[in-house]
Amino acid sequence: MILAGGKGSRLGKLTKNIAKPAVPFGGRYRIIDFTLSNCANSGIKNVGVVTQYQPLALNNHVDNGTSWGLDGINSGVTILQPYAGSEGGKWFEGTAHAIYQNIAYIDEMNPEYLLVLSGDHIYKMDYEEMLETHKANEASLTVAVLEVPEKEASRFGIMNTDENDRIIEFEEKPENPKSNLASMGIYIFDWSRLREVLLSSYSKDDHMLDFGKHVIPSYLEGGENVFVYRFAGYWKDVGTIDSLWEANMEFINPEMNLDIRDKSWRVYSRNTISPPNFLTDTASVTDSLIVDGCYVAGQIENSILSNDVQVKEGSKITDSFIMPGASIGRDVTIHRAIIGEGAVVGDNTVIDGTEEVGVVGYSEVIGVTMDEG
Amino acid sequence: MRANKICAVLGNIQRYNALLPLTNERPLATLPFACKYRLIDFPLSSIVNANINTVYMIFNEGETQSVFDHIGGGKEWNLDGVHNRFFIHLYQDFLKLKAHNQSYYRPLIDYLEKSKSEYTVYMSSKMICNIDLRAVLKIHQQQNNEMTVVYKKVESEKICQTDAVLSLTDNGQITEVRPYMEHLQTSEQENLCMDIYIVQTDWLIRELKEGQQEGTPADIQDFLRKKIHTVKSSTYEHTGYLSNIFDINSYYNASLDMLNQQKFSSLLYSNQKIYTKLKNEVPTYYSESSEVNNSQFATGCIIEGKVEGSSISRGTVIDKGTEIIDSIIMPSAKICAGARVQNAILDKEVVVDPGVQIIGTRENPVVIEKYQHVTNDILANGVAVGDIER
Repeated sequence: MILAGGKGSRLGKLTKNIAKPAVPFGGRYRIIDFTLSNCANSGIKNVGVVTQYQPLALNNHVDNGTSWGLDGINSGVTILQPYAGSEGGKWFEGTAHAIYQNIAYIDEMNPEYLLVLSGDHIYKMDYEEMLETHKANEASLTVAVLEVPEKEASRFGIMNTDENDRIIEFEEKPENPKSNLASMGIYIFDWSRLREVLLSSYSKDDHMLDFGKHVIPSYLEGGENVFVYRFAGYWKDVGTIDSLWEANMEFINPEMNLDIRDKSWRVYSRNTISPPNFLTDTASVTDSLIVDGCYVAGQIENSILSNDVQVKEGSKITDSFIMPGASIGRDVTIHRAIIGEGAVVGDNTVIDGTEEVGVVGYSEVIGVTMDEG
Repeated sequence: MRANKICAVLGNIQRYNALLPLTNERPLATLPFACKYRLIDFPLSSIVNANINTVYMIFNEGETQSVFDHIGGGKEWNLDGVHNRFFIHLYQDFLKLKAHNQSYYRPLIDYLEKSKSEYTVYMSSKMICNIDLRAVLKIHQQQNNEMTVVYKKVESEKICQTDAVLSLTDNGQITEVRPYMEHLQTSEQENLCMDIYIVQTDWLIRELKEGQQEGTPADIQDFLRKKIHTVKSSTYEHTGYLSNIFDINSYYNASLDMLNQQKFSSLLYSNQKIYTKLKNEVPTYYSESSEVNNSQFATGCIIEGKVEGSSISRGTVIDKGTEIIDSIIMPSAKICAGARVQNAILDKEVVVDPGVQIIGTRENPVVIEKYQHVTNDILANGVAVGDIER
């Protein structure tokens, strides 16, 4: 189950009309592609994508899962949205509540294990390996963790473990963290047990809305076998403008340890059809990623141009991430910025994000003067 | 337009020796073009863009591997739906039936009858264009003739020996259909028959049934060409981009045409999209040392050298210190450090060793065959070692 319903309000105008997992990334991807590709590459056949906030673009993108090869005979992607039942309609009020509301879907699959993911992280992970650990530990719940620098630990949910990697204590954003094992929001549950716990909680009054706030503490208190799975590798939460910009800049380097060129673990996305990218006589492109449909007559340095981006002559783009379909006029200067999908940047505009990463929203038009008559 | 108003026949059996070695292991139809397309994408896209939902394709025996690889289930062209289908038939099966004095058009006639369509369009992959078949149909309906022939005025050097040329009156009536012969060339421009025909389906079925009694050609293109003059035909002049592919030079020139923005836009950015097989490739990376001008790139490449006036297909790796000039690089080539490739066509998965020079001329480009590993310099006739700057 991929929880893709978050509002992503820290991304400001980039998530005004689009759910965070559907935000473009890295030239030809959207954030959720990494999680969906992990599922496909890990051999997971049935994926539910829980959506809620501004789901149109996300639903279009995920479609029936065909782009990830998840539309086979025994597999499928199902979009799960809030619905009205006989007891009335309900928005998903938290991560655990979203699972509870979709028990009918999960029961249909009748799985032994439930993998809960969030759709807004950039990483590659073999969930099967995590499941093996879960089985070997005979755990009831396994939480994937990442070692973070100690001074940053207070920003995360921290798992304190014993020498067997069993979780003894969970602290949400602790002031004085006792360890540096941060929860990645990736859980494997024994489904029958979780189902029982959720049903019993909702039959009483202590509704378990959230995995971090309610379910994990209750598991620990109830003496369930809860283990960590240690993940080492590239992992990035792209929940803020700064982290989204930073992750994109890191993505340019072909040597980065996410290794998107690894053919044995491909990152899939919904492919659109566009002609090859065209670099004119006046173009100069260094240390950058460019994809299909782009037209470049300007100077591009350390930047990403997504599908169908146009950059006219005399413009200079440095350290920036340009989302699909954006059109950059003549003699424009863009430095350290994120330009939204379909944005139009008029001639001679200067966007300087030296102080704070510059953001132009989706379809926003800036620096264009309308001719009268 | 009603979905089954037109059905399509796509013929891909003509062979052109002057295209060897590019067509050693593939038909003309699957020759790569403009970084990420194959020639067949153009007629196929024109067909599906006209809302035609059924296509009958004819190929030579032994040439279908790359065709199936490319077309797959037909999904990218939306030919895999409940109502949308494609069929592939081998030319040699028509010939076998003919040799046994059987009704050799029968498989095609079956198709035409089952399509329940009023009109049939015939196309081939040799003429690269993006044509609005609905506009041609409109003219066909207005003229109310059995057949409408599409042509374009082209310079005579863009015509090959096996092409047909039309003589027309001022109001577009065909007065003569003749094979193109260079020595008889009368004017600078000729009306090249593009071998795109729209005909009445019931008329075609009738003619095929009669024809197989009389031993008419099993090649449908040939069959239709011979009909141009025997029935009332109207003409449609194609005004958009056209490239006629029949030898290395015409292929090379057409590929370089795509670096001309006007021609590129006319073919690939018209209001009708060109569809091709989708590949899940990563973005193309241009390193700090890359120097790229007036060139085209598909995704999945790593570019660290100098590229000028060239077309670089998917998954190509161009190392530091290399120079690629006025060249066509097909998918998954690897050009190692310090190599120089000029006026050349590199087929798929070619490897060029460090420092190796492959130099052709504008009129005589060097062609490197698929899977070749080039370890020594290759110079085209007329290029002297002294011409090369080291």
